Amino acid sequence: MNSTHSEHILRSYDQELGRLKGEIARMGEIAVAQIAAAMDVIERRDSRAAERVIANDDAIDQLEASVSNDVLMLLAKRQPMARDLREVMAALRIASDIERIGDYAANLAKRSIALNLTAAIPPVHNLPTLAEAASEMLTDVLKAYRVSDEKMARTVWDRDVDLDSLYTSLFRESLTYMMEDARNITPATHVLFMAKNIERIGDHVTNIAENIWFLVTGQSLDTPRRKADLTSRMEVRPNDTQ
Amino acid sequence: MTETAPTLSAQTLSTVVSQPKLIARNLDFFYQEFLALQDISMEIPEHKVTAIIGPSGCGKSTLLRVFNRIYAIYPKLRACGEVLLDGQNILEPGYSLNRLRSKVGMVFQKPVPFPMSIYENIAYGIRHHERISRSEMDMRVELALRQSALWNEAKDKLKQNALGLSGGQQQRLCIARAIALKPEVILLDEPTSALDPIATGRIEQLVEELKRDFTIVIVTHNMQQAARVSDFTAFMYLGELIEFGGTQTIFTKPTKTQTEDYITGRFG
Amino acid sequence: MSADNIWLYRRRRAINLIALVLGAAATLFGLFWLGWILWVTLVKGFTALGPMLFTHSTPPPPGAGGGLANAFLGSLIVNSIALAVGVPVGIGAGMWLAEYAKHGKLGGVIRFLNDILLSAPSIVLGLFIYTILVKVVGHFSALAGGLALALIVLPIVVRTTDEMLKLVPSTMREAALSLGIPQWKVVMQILFRSARAGVITGILLALARISGETAPLLFTALNNQYWSSNLLKPIATVPVVIFQFALSPYAGWHALAWAGALVITLFILTLSLLSRLILSRSKVTHD
Repeated sequence: MNSTHSEHILRSYDQELGRLKGEIARMGEIAVAQIAAAMDVIERRDSRAAERVIANDDAIDQLEASVSNDVLMLLAKRQPMARDLREVMAALRIASDIERIGDYAANLAKRSIALNLTAAIPPVHNLPTLAEAASEMLTDVLKAYRVSDEKMARTVWDRDVDLDSLYTSLFRESLTYMMEDARNITPATHVLFMAKNIERIGDHVTNIAENIWFLVTGQSLDTPRRKADLTSRMEVRPNDTQ
Repeated sequence: MTETAPTLSAQTLSTVVSQPKLIARNLDFFYQEFLALQDISMEIPEHKVTAIIGPSGCGKSTLLRVFNRIYAIYPKLRACGEVLLDGQNILEPGYSLNRLRSKVGMVFQKPVPFPMSIYENIAYGIRHHERISRSEMDMRVELALRQSALWNEAKDKLKQNALGLSGGQQQRLCIARAIALKPEVILLDEPTSALDPIATGRIEQLVEELKRDFTIVIVTHNMQQAARVSDFTAFMYLGELIEFGGTQTIFTKPTKTQTEDYITGRFG
Repeated sequence: MSADNIWLYRRRRAINLIALVLGAAATLFGLFWLGWILWVTLVKGFTALGPMLFTHSTPPPPGAGGGLANAFLGSLIVNSIALAVGVPVGIGAGMWLAEYAKHGKLGGVIRFLNDILLSAPSIVLGLFIYTILVKVVGHFSALAGGLALALIVLPIVVRTTDEMLKLVPSTMREAALSLGIPQWKVVMQILFRSARAGVITGILLALARISGETAPLLFTALNNQYWSSNLLKPIATVPVVIFQFALSPYAGWHALAWAGALVITLFILTLSLLSRLILSRSKVTHD
């Protein structure tokens, strides 16, 4: 448990909170591994391995279910207050964010199978860069959660901007390939969705960062977030590609 | 009322929508030479429920007992400082105890109905303060019983001995007895600690309804109860007021470590 | 269970049995004498009981026939005086001790004095009234007898009132005072009401006690062979008549003494049962 707070009079309460943190750390580790595995199967164009990545998502789902159950029991038995209440609430939310991240990782693997049915296009090779950035953010935010460091969480939160810019450039690149050759449209669309998935992972990481901030300070991180994902307003005309 | 300058923190003030009804200023309290309350300053807002929490012996009940000066029935107890009720210092020797106690009612931990009928339990106090006709008295008794949500259970046995009621009913009768005098403030000293959860729920529901007409101060050992029923919460420890603020703040993000340690069960 | 444990267990059983036997024996020993006394009183009393007992006054010596009517009337009068004087004063003093003097020094002193009065031999109280009243006025009287008995009633009532009020939970006091009701009203109308059953029991027990008292009446009410209801004249009382008749050589008087003893015993028995009944009823209200 974190060192700034003394232990509860009821020691089993501390054990239960500790267990909750442990489950979330485990979920996070699996999610990080899943992202890496998804990138690996994309690079190697290995559909069989992709199936295994998809199947692995079950482990995260099960952990999330057990976090939900533990939270339910904690609320029923302990009626947590103040810091403990925030701890429990943050755990529930963070677990659901990681669960979504796991889904996105599985999604990446799923699309790689479709991608393997077409010829490879160059933007695919930029996906790992994007994924790596997202994965590092996830690793760091989990560390911030483990040590209850809201400042560290905040710096991770700030890094989402970089991920968004990476995504925007990949978006632009994919569009360019579509313009060039209509046969690229199928793989490029898949790549676009995959890039979007990774960008969404970044959004969930920022959610986690916000929850850590709330957990430690009791306030929401309500400074408006800088947005570098400009694709929703992006328009590309055929002559742009010339 | 110009002299009642607020001493609440700015954060708390923002949530205070009503006037302070009861103000303690630099209040000290002595059991002989023992300083049981030290420099308490707080403002209890009108028509709100203010909960006082803290470990046993922190002085929360003592503070409550200063508000209607019930402590004065025991020798060697003494309060210094000011307690203003509507701007008037009730600790002044000239302030009539009878008047104070008709304005500030109190309900105790254990229900203590008087050894008389349900009707008489309520009429007895009224009769002492007012001369009213029989039919008027009937109405006042009914009103008090209705306000304390006891009317339906008690209307057919008004003439029966109050000691025949269940514990929860007895406690609601005690509340009825207090509100029958039309007080302005009601002090509740751990009113549900001797009751089962159902009876406790009824009392809590009642507290919620009563704050429309009264200012309520409740001392409780049950933190969840404080969180449920109160608008403001004061945390006391070793005779000092550690933190006083909106209940939401106290139970989600208290500013003092001592408060947080207490409400999360880390004390000691 | 190891052998040690079995041995320990048997030892405990044995000690338990011995204690049980000794306790039962002591009880039986006490009950035996009590039973004997009651039996003799019943047998001798019933044989002497007759319709004349309540209609005729004490016969002159050598005492055949007659009854105890004058003695019963005398006892009624003397006991009434005792209660009329002792009870109000006792309750008032008890209230003062419990509610006002509380733990003060004066209260402590008075409580101590009251306890001395409570355990004072009754003959001393009789002697006291003899000295300050009978001697001064110059003759024995029913009034003097009543006052002597009042001195027995007084400390009992003071003590029970004090104790019973102290048993009323302090929260009751606080609850009443917190309604803005002045203390004297709280004491008289609420606290005393809670303590009432106990106080009444105390009074009944005091009555039972004075009904059998002989010593204080010897120097005060003296005796009177004739029907009299004059408070300023000597008067017959049951215990004194029993005392006198029992010492006499006449068989008729002996029989009347037994009859009187039986009536007094039954009366006291009734009072004891009544006070138990009242206490057991009030138990329901105090938990």
